[in-house]
Amino acid sequence: MLQLKRDYLNQKVLERLSTLQLHARLPMVGSVSGKHRSPIRGSSLEFAEYRKYVPGDDTRRLDWRAYARNDRYYIKEFEADTNLRMCLVVDTSGSMDFTDNGNPAGTDAESGLSKLDYARRVAGTLAYIAALQGDAVGLYCAGQAFQKEIPPKRSATHLSVVLDELGTMEASGETGLADVLHETAERIPQRALIVVISDLFIEPETVRNCFEHLRFRKHDVAVFHLMEQNELDFEFDRPMRFVDMEGGEPILADPTVIGAQYRRAMEIYLESMDEVIRDTEVDYHRIQIHENYGDVLARFLLGRTPKRHK
Amino acid sequence: MSFLQPLALIALPLMALPIIIHLINQQRHRTIPWAAMMFLMRAKRMSRGMARLRHLLILLMRVLAIGALIFAISRPLSGGWLGSVGLSKPDATLILLDRSASMEMQDLQAGESKRSTALKRLAQLLEQGDYGTHLLLIDSASGQMQEVDSPKALLNLPMTGASATSANIPSMLETALAYLKANESGRAEIWICSDLNENDWDVHSGRWNAMRQAFAQLEGVHHFLLAYTDPPSNNLSLRVENVQRWKRGNDAELILDVMVRTNGNSGGTRRVPIEFEVNNIQSVVEVELDTLGASLQGHRIPIDAKLSSGWGSVSLPGDANPLDNRFFFVFSEPPVRKTVVVSDDKRIGEAFRRALAIPLDPRLQHQADVIPVNRVAEIDWESTGLLIWQGALPSGLVAEQIEHFVNSGRAVMFFPPAQNAGEQLFDSHWGAWQSADGKEVAKVAWWRGDADLLAHVESGDALPLNGLRTYRYRTLESTGTPLARFDDETPLLTRVPTDHGAIYFCSTLPTAQYSSLERDGIVFYIMLQRALTEGCLTLAAAAQRDAGVGVLADRDQWESIAPAENTASLSQRELHAGVYREGEHWVAVNRSQAEDNAKTSPVETVDALFDGLSYRRIDVDVGDTSALASELWRIFLIAMALALILEAILSLPSRKTEDTPLIDLATAEGITE
Repeated sequence: MLQLKRDYLNQKVLERLSTLQLHARLPMVGSVSGKHRSPIRGSSLEFAEYRKYVPGDDTRRLDWRAYARNDRYYIKEFEADTNLRMCLVVDTSGSMDFTDNGNPAGTDAESGLSKLDYARRVAGTLAYIAALQGDAVGLYCAGQAFQKEIPPKRSATHLSVVLDELGTMEASGETGLADVLHETAERIPQRALIVVISDLFIEPETVRNCFEHLRFRKHDVAVFHLMEQNELDFEFDRPMRFVDMEGGEPILADPTVIGAQYRRAMEIYLESMDEVIRDTEVDYHRIQIHENYGDVLARFLLGRTPKRHK
Repeated sequence: MSFLQPLALIALPLMALPIIIHLINQQRHRTIPWAAMMFLMRAKRMSRGMARLRHLLILLMRVLAIGALIFAISRPLSGGWLGSVGLSKPDATLILLDRSASMEMQDLQAGESKRSTALKRLAQLLEQGDYGTHLLLIDSASGQMQEVDSPKALLNLPMTGASATSANIPSMLETALAYLKANESGRAEIWICSDLNENDWDVHSGRWNAMRQAFAQLEGVHHFLLAYTDPPSNNLSLRVENVQRWKRGNDAELILDVMVRTNGNSGGTRRVPIEFEVNNIQSVVEVELDTLGASLQGHRIPIDAKLSSGWGSVSLPGDANPLDNRFFFVFSEPPVRKTVVVSDDKRIGEAFRRALAIPLDPRLQHQADVIPVNRVAEIDWESTGLLIWQGALPSGLVAEQIEHFVNSGRAVMFFPPAQNAGEQLFDSHWGAWQSADGKEVAKVAWWRGDADLLAHVESGDALPLNGLRTYRYRTLESTGTPLARFDDETPLLTRVPTDHGAIYFCSTLPTAQYSSLERDGIVFYIMLQRALTEGCLTLAAAAQRDAGVGVLADRDQWESIAPAENTASLSQRELHAGVYREGEHWVAVNRSQAEDNAKTSPVETVDALFDGLSYRRIDVDVGDTSALASELWRIFLIAMALALILEAILSLPSRKTEDTPLIDLATAEGITE
């Protein structure tokens, strides 16, 4: 077990989740043998199919028993297991600094987690689990003010780099999530698991374009959509001056006047987002950040377990 | 709108409280960092429409609720016409009550007259409100002002009862104006109750302009006219135009001219019984009425020959106005129509005597005496009806005697002296003699043919003044009104206005040296006979008079003869129709002819009389005694409750937002599994 010194990682959660495995929902193309299905036939114990011998095939893979029965040459093929490239894309826009009590993170020691803290925990834990099972882990910070790109690698030192970066990343400025997702889709040459952790405060059609791009490149896409209860309920009893956490103009509004319209706008947005998810078939998880992230991740990992193992 | 608790209206600014709270609330905002700005901006855009309107409506409902509560506490009174009254109470309230006979027009179902209806409604209104320190009544019958203790007392005062008089609204307003000026009253309300009778209002009088200007200089005076503007209902009035007692052999008879007038729509011709009562003997005659009415001329009623004087009445069946259904008359033997001609010129005196000694009606007795100026002291003023004075205008005692003679209702005609002009009398003074310069004669260029001495005869033909030739005439400096003028504008005949009697000045003499008056005869004779008739009106022992203050003032011991139910006090009885007697003298008091004329002044004309003043006309119906103003606090409380209910409904959160969960995590999570 790796020695952990990151305070956003919880030892108990890690121990609890270490019994679970991170599976890709789609076949992966890895550089080494691993625990994930590969589209390429390999030498695992899992039988795949027979095919006729063609000159040039390795004679060691001839099934002599079949030859004895049919007097024909057949090559016996097995599934290949390979490793996984997991790219963690964390939104580091200013809005990710929003906490579960409406205050920016760090302003109050006793206050709850910010979305970024929550993202840090989810991403760190997933990175740890992936590294533990020998998969490559990469990190992409998607903020216009704070962007960072750490390509996926398998080494333990690389995990340390990723975890350090997770610990130091900050939320500020506008989001660069769409650009980062498009770039990631283009840059990662082989199939990978793209884990997006964001509040997704961008237009659903933009999100659709990003996800379709990733899916087109055969990537397995998982999304942790972080929301806060206040953002959904919009329950305030007096006029408020809302300061844009991404640097835009503040808005003075009376929630008793525009509350219904806000909730209606939110409802429309979430319905649109559901439609995007259905169409792009990504692994979508809408999370409220007061939820226990261990439970969220356990649900996530169990949901990805291949059916044949059930 | 007026208020019983106007001080409560000071709290009206509290209506702004919801808006102020809203604005303060806006300022008390908390600053919060917010991530989901995109939804906030969308919500702001969406809330520009209905939601904003809803919020404004909520604010409005709160404002209305507070306003309605304040109004309810201030106890408002209904009546948009009270709007100009304002909030402060008046220092004085003056009631100008038209007590004329036409105000007794009744609503037969309600049994209330215009006068009583107006009084009740006004008393009720004033009782509810604040009428100030002084409540004053000016009644049209007496024209006097008197203070009233309370609005309720108005209903029982003798000065607010029915009367047979006419009203003089301009005069009543002048009395009110004099009071306001003398007492320097601040804010005052003047309530005029009237049926807008044309005669009572005299809208063409020049007094209105002066009065309007005087009222305009007073601040805080509000005029309210409680007016009956409805056309008159179906009503008949009757009047005895003339009554004469003639002796025929050993018998005697009364000859009456009776006029029945129809007001309103009579619905075609119909027959109406007229009841005559003379000496407690009744007789009934039916007359046929057309749209205008009927005239019964020369109706003869035989009487006892020994009955030299007495009284009677003519009655109609009851209708809308009970006051004009009975008319009293008195009769007596016709007096000797005596004329005294004062002239030093025998020739001229004889001309007058001849014209005056011959009566128009052979049954009348005429007497004309000619005396020189120096025997004036011998004149029996009491039995004389007409005085012809041809000589220098007198002064001193004689002038005083003539003045008294005129004031007692007799007539005097002055003719120019040949020489000395004399003193000034009745604001008139003889000038120099004029001859028809360059012309043979002076012609009469204009004369008044509609009334007075030179009026057209009954057939409608004009008197032949065109043919009158005048050779010499004397100019006259007078404030009188010309009745005829020569073509050089010099008056031929002038009448000097007086309260009683008649005064005429004629600029030429009847003899051939001066004019053709005597030779042509007709104009001269008719002119003198008419003057004599006018002067002898008061000679008769029986007189018909119009009801009004002072009509019984000439004698002290008038005894009420009719009607039997006449219970009016001494001070009030001259205002009511009836018959009065003192010794040989009889007086029948009736409403004036103008009161039988139901013609009302157009409301636009009446309104124009108050142009530039604070004035409001309130049209009322006769018999309608409903309150002029009623308390409205219940309406305002209901309005407040409605506003609060509406506010609550508008404040309810949208049901859709309540019931629909925004996030269904169960379906959202792992949606693609």
